[in-house]
Amino acid sequence: MDVNILLKIAGVGILIAVVHQILSKAGREDQAMMTSLAGMIIVLTMVVTEISNLFETVRTVFNL
Amino acid sequence: MDIVKIVGIGFLTLIVILVLKEFKKEYAIYASILGGIILLTMSFGTISEIVGFLNRISEKTSYNNSGFITLLLKITGIAVLVEYGTSICRDSGETAIASKIDFAGKIIIISMSIPVISLALDTLLQLLP
Repeated sequence: MDVNILLKIAGVGILIAVVHQILSKAGREDQAMMTSLAGMIIVLTMVVTEISNLFETVRTVFNL
Repeated sequence: MDIVKIVGIGFLTLIVILVLKEFKKEYAIYASILGGIILLTMSFGTISEIVGFLNRISEKTSYNNSGFITLLLKITGIAVLVEYGTSICRDSGETAIASKIDFAGKIIIISMSIPVISLALDTLLQLLP
């Protein structure tokens, strides 16, 4: 849980942007939409797990 | 807790955010959230040491104040979380949501500190002739 998760997010974002461009240029608009949605979901799950870790740490440190 | 490491991670997050703003606008907010989480968890190690130190000191004092220190820590934890949430919301331009989170945080803190206030008032009334 160090810096590599940040770079993962950046990688997924750029990859999704490129794939979206390629698919939309190739005329497959719906698949482009699907891939960007899939990328969004992947990134969201990563972020949500990290947020839950943060809240858990705060709860244990401050015994909320 | 190496300050150079913290500043370095901050700059790396900044760069990732700027790059992501270029390609995909909505991913920048995820990068800023994650950067905030990384920096916060790095400083929690020291915070837990401080908390342990505070607890040891509170046990030594004579009068029974076990509730005060835990209450103080709870309020600090709430303040840390509220500040984290509001700053992320303000970053992405949603000041309305930030003010709502702020408001709710203040209400929770006030409601938690009511027993302490009443205890202080009681002791004050006893002092008066």
